[in-house]
Amino acid sequence: MKRLPLRTLAALLLLAVIIASVATAIGTLIVTRATIARLVDRRITEESLSIVEADRILPTSVLIRRIEDAARRRDTGDIGFVLARDDGRALVGNVVLHRPLPLGYSNLTSGDRIEGLTHGRALVRAVGEGRVLTTLAETEPIQDLNSIRVLIVTGGFASVILIVSGGLSAFGRIISHRITRMQRTVDAIIDGDMSERVLVDGLGSELDQQAQAFNRMLDRIATLMASISNVTHDIAHDLRTPLARLRALLALAHREAGDAQTSDRLAKALVEVDQILAMFGAILRIAEVEGGNRRAGFKPFNLAALLEETAALYEPLAEEEGHLLLLDAPMQEVMLHGDRQLVAQGIINLVENAIRHTPAGTRIQLRLESAKAAVRVIVEDDGPGIATSQHGKALSRFGRLEEARGSDGHGLGLPLVEGIARLHRGAVTLVDAEPGLRAVMTLPIAPGLVKGRA
Amino acid sequence: MNLLIVEDDRSLAAYLSAELRSCGHEVVVAVDGHAGLRAVLDRKFDAIVLDRMMPHIDGLSMVRTLREDGITTPVIMVTALGQSADRIDGLDGGADDYVVKPVDVDELNARLHALVRGRAWMQSDSDTISAKDVTVSPTRMRAWYRGIALDLPKTEFNLLAELVRNADSVLTRKMLYEKVWQFEGEPAAKLVDAYVSRLRRRISAQVGDDPIVTIRGLGYMVRA
Repeated sequence: MKRLPLRTLAALLLLAVIIASVATAIGTLIVTRATIARLVDRRITEESLSIVEADRILPTSVLIRRIEDAARRRDTGDIGFVLARDDGRALVGNVVLHRPLPLGYSNLTSGDRIEGLTHGRALVRAVGEGRVLTTLAETEPIQDLNSIRVLIVTGGFASVILIVSGGLSAFGRIISHRITRMQRTVDAIIDGDMSERVLVDGLGSELDQQAQAFNRMLDRIATLMASISNVTHDIAHDLRTPLARLRALLALAHREAGDAQTSDRLAKALVEVDQILAMFGAILRIAEVEGGNRRAGFKPFNLAALLEETAALYEPLAEEEGHLLLLDAPMQEVMLHGDRQLVAQGIINLVENAIRHTPAGTRIQLRLESAKAAVRVIVEDDGPGIATSQHGKALSRFGRLEEARGSDGHGLGLPLVEGIARLHRGAVTLVDAEPGLRAVMTLPIAPGLVKGRA
Repeated sequence: MNLLIVEDDRSLAAYLSAELRSCGHEVVVAVDGHAGLRAVLDRKFDAIVLDRMMPHIDGLSMVRTLREDGITTPVIMVTALGQSADRIDGLDGGADDYVVKPVDVDELNARLHALVRGRAWMQSDSDTISAKDVTVSPTRMRAWYRGIALDLPKTEFNLLAELVRNADSVLTRKMLYEKVWQFEGEPAAKLVDAYVSRLRRRISAQVGDDPIVTIRGLGYMVRA
């Protein structure tokens, strides 16, 4: 049950209410009809017994007189009497029967063609000497009552169903409105805006209490995140200062080194220290990007031009390392609303990754593709690639792959690209380019900003 | 050089002053903005190393006050945050350059030299800059080495011009990256190396050798 969506649950509830209502209506009708039939039966039984008591045998003449008396006494004329022989021949009566009725109680309908009667009940008794006494009464006013009753019951239950379904849908709308509002908050927080909160209307309802609890949880998370970020900052700061001193000492020792071996070792040590400092720099940068504050400085810029500049910038480095860097730029102008410097950093990281992790002779292609309401920055190489199972690891922090351990780099390049893409409400994906790796940075774009497809 | 360090963190101030003294500078330390302003009014400095975050008067207000009073002493801002918005604020406020904590003394020293020499060059009216065998004309985008005109692409030309402008000062990769490419972000050390070796190959191919000296563990330099 708990896995059903709300809409289905509401529909099921409505169905249950309808079934219960209809069952109650039918039950009431049946019971009412039975009660009325019992009342009518009791009356015709009394009338029949007033003509002749049970087990008494009276002469026909007495019976005829009593019937005539009773018929006269009744100004309502709603009780009919017929005294007949058992061969069907009537001796006396105030109504005419067109068919023989069975002994005991039976229903009469308009099919019996009794004058002025459409619905009724009859009691047929044997009164001795081959005679039968039939007593009958109309149930027409009661039938009318029945149809009114059906009308009342139907109307009543229809309004109950209307009220219930209306209530359900109003209730559903209130809940879905709340959920939508909460969803917006959650989306904003996923986007990195930790200041967003769910609106509380102050009515103190359960939903309000839940919203308040949700907000308290967000406050708590924000506090924890701030303290983690402070700790990160403090660690980075406290470690970077002695590291910088260490680096200065190493650089000095390296410059003054007497022999080639010492000089070589010190040069390697310098590279290691630079690596560590770069790692701290990258950690602080990721923290800055993930904070989302940089959105305040978003401006429109031409992504196609930036890609071209980056390709031109990196062409010498690629050449130096024996790679071929190619730009495939069919789009002249792709305006993106964002942080140009950060997007540049993202593209640079992707290009540097491609250069760093592929052997000489690899072709690296840079291109832009327009997608639905987005633009894709693609850096693709035809190198050895990364196994699909390792793609997730490559994108995670410090997620350096075994093959890359020996090379420089600190495993924070791709996470930073991902952070930059997320800041722009985009994403980074790795795809097997068969052969090689295709890194895709998807950035959402306002429609109509892509121009000049050649 | 005659330097003023304004830094409220006494241990960092002591470390910086000791290191900069060992580089051959004369150093005065002020522990807050008020003391810093008093020191500036007292005597003339070649450059000021100014912490951005200080109690009372922070670095940003201090540099603004200096500039409003017409004091143009070069200022290097020391910022702990390392965030771009702060860097831009620092430069807007009238600072000439910035370094991010933790301070690498070699980097700071290189920047101080570059800053003071850059000022000296800007004050001369000449269109060309020269260093020993190299002459560069930034307005005409022309360069000569040992009297031979060089044919250089734009980036390589800018790189050479920056080195010549700061002749006899070491330019770190970070400084070159910021000045030549004006790209924000982590310095792509290998990128600068790639361009420098391209530049050297180009000049060597045209002249036979090149004027660029690699200072290992630090950066590049052209001798005056």
